[in-house]
Amino acid sequence: MSDGALIVVIAGLVATACGLLGPFLVLRRMALLSDAVSHAVLPGIVAVWLVAQTRAPLPVIIGAAAFAVLCVLGIDALRATGLVASDAAIALVFPALFSLGVLGVTRYAAGIHLDLDSTIYGEIAFVPFDTVWVGGYEVARSGLVLGGVVLLNVVLVGLMWKELKATTFDPQFGATVRLRPVLLSRLLLVASAVTAVAAFDAVGAILVVTLLIVPAATAYLLTDRLVVMVALAIGIGWVGAAVGYAVALPMDSSIAGAMGLVCTACFVLALLLSPRHGLLTRRWRRARAGAPLPG
Amino acid sequence: MDRLSAALGLPYTDAVVVAGALVLGITSGVLGAFAVLRRRSLVGDAVAHATLPGVCVAFLVAGVKDVPGLLLGAAVAGMVAALLMVGIERAGRIRPDAAIGVVLSGFFAFGVVLLTHLSNSSDADQAGLENYLFGQAAGLLERDVAVMAALAAVALVVVGVLRRALTTTLFDPAFAGAIGLPVRALETLMTALLVVAVVIGVRVVGAILMVAMLVVPTVTARQLADRFPSVLVLAGLIGAAVGVTGALTATRGQLPTGPVVVLTGFAVALAALLLAPGRGVLWQARRLASRRRIVRRDAVLAHPDAPTTSLSDRLIRAGLRRRGLLAADGTLTATGRAAAAETAERRALWSAWLEHGPSIRLPDAREPDPVDLAGSLGEDAVAQLRKVVSGNASYSARIRSRPLGGSQDE
Repeated sequence: MSDGALIVVIAGLVATACGLLGPFLVLRRMALLSDAVSHAVLPGIVAVWLVAQTRAPLPVIIGAAAFAVLCVLGIDALRATGLVASDAAIALVFPALFSLGVLGVTRYAAGIHLDLDSTIYGEIAFVPFDTVWVGGYEVARSGLVLGGVVLLNVVLVGLMWKELKATTFDPQFGATVRLRPVLLSRLLLVASAVTAVAAFDAVGAILVVTLLIVPAATAYLLTDRLVVMVALAIGIGWVGAAVGYAVALPMDSSIAGAMGLVCTACFVLALLLSPRHGLLTRRWRRARAGAPLPG
Repeated sequence: MDRLSAALGLPYTDAVVVAGALVLGITSGVLGAFAVLRRRSLVGDAVAHATLPGVCVAFLVAGVKDVPGLLLGAAVAGMVAALLMVGIERAGRIRPDAAIGVVLSGFFAFGVVLLTHLSNSSDADQAGLENYLFGQAAGLLERDVAVMAALAAVALVVVGVLRRALTTTLFDPAFAGAIGLPVRALETLMTALLVVAVVIGVRVVGAILMVAMLVVPTVTARQLADRFPSVLVLAGLIGAAVGVTGALTATRGQLPTGPVVVLTGFAVALAALLLAPGRGVLWQARRLASRRRIVRRDAVLAHPDAPTTSLSDRLIRAGLRRRGLLAADGTLTATGRAAAAETAERRALWSAWLEHGPSIRLPDAREPDPVDLAGSLGEDAVAQLRKVVSGNASYSARIRSRPLGGSQDE
């Protein structure tokens, strides 16, 4: 596989993993948790460096995932007090964790590879250079990790489809028929946190946040059916990955940034032209309906 | 500024940072309140991220890193992002959080693309533009603080002049529209004020941490006050205190300003959430525990001969025995019987309130408290209640045949 194709496939895997969870997050109004998690993992990465003096992927992912889960559960706990709205809870927790991380970097880890850029931006362009040997084949390490995450998410969403759907659209009904909406919601949050952490390592935070929110929001503009929404979200993510790479290459631009911009462009198109909810289509429909009636 | 640095016993550069943090604290406290109470706290996050492409474009246009130009770029980009969010929301289908997320990722992706472009163009002067993400308080100049203070003063004057219209729009947009206020313009103004706060703060604490400065003061103030004007003033004061404390700690400890200020703020907000009188988590827990105790005690007094089952039951009985309400053999003493009668009377009054509550005239809206009805509703209401009950004796008799219906005639 050429390097270019590999980068697109890796981004596509991230898009798949995110597209499976993103629609649920968007429908449950928890889209911004992905942004919170993307910042909250920094202290985990720093802590792993301080304790084990390593940037090896596995410990870093474990450390980051621990703080991602801490962040998500902390937000949940704050919200459960009833004293803070959920958006304010998010805005309280993740800057605090991120501050801890920045302090750790400047105080103990200055001068090592653990600079902020690499944890915030990641760099998808380096994916082809990081390989491991599995059964005689050389494969991209992030491809393995992300493949695992996609598999986990497919299993989670596939097994829990009915439950997730019911509790997403009608938590009270879900509670009445004993579906444990709170537990399911936490499960979804933890899955998102783990997905995000695994993906940061490969493609950088901004692309993960984008792929969790933007394709799902775009799909929400295009359909009313959850299955279609998930499929569309995954598809839009792949389109963003492929087109973004094709755009970034000749311009020698940031690949992740270009992929994010393509996804955003998809959103703008859907916002304007979606058959049912598009701003322009609605205006046209209204103009036609408002045309003078006969008689 | 020289006098300030002398008064604080700080070197000049540190005094500038502290002054900057003070300005930031007051403005973000007051202006953040509007965002937090509209449940749009994270709009500040998106606006802060959107300043990155703004700064890059301003640098591309101007070609130099001069502060007012970059601030202007940041402000324009922030405003565009904020208006886009409002627009996406108004289109109807997309909820606020997704709108914020889309705008945030779109602008940030654009910023990353621009940054890469700038660093590829090998313009030596571009280095450090990304510091806008993390703040660079140490690079603050007196002139920057003066610009920030002027912006802040304008924003605070606007809030002061329009506070009534803004408050009405904030809490009841439909009513505001009905009395002829320009709701859309006022909402846009609130967003613009938020952008001002973010642009001021990005220099000091950085884009990523800015959202905390907007939220912490209001969350804290909301625990301490119930009226919006007091929340606004308190939020400004708390923001100022957090900013100054954090900045001083940071300069003493040779630490980056932004994270220390944010962590200080987080500690303050957490303390307020836990300890705020009457509202905090610990107070609520204490109140709940005391309610539970009263319910258990009442249960024992009502049925002293019921078999003792649980540990808590046994503890309650021991407590009652110690206070002389329960005799050693488990029967009620004379004081115990009096207390039981009082409990029964309280219950009767409560069921009367549940039954006839709507017909009782109260001078204002009051929250009835089952344990202390007279204290929570006033003696007058209780007297009315008794009269209604005695007037409806035959009706109440039928109610009383239910197990918990009460025993008015004891």
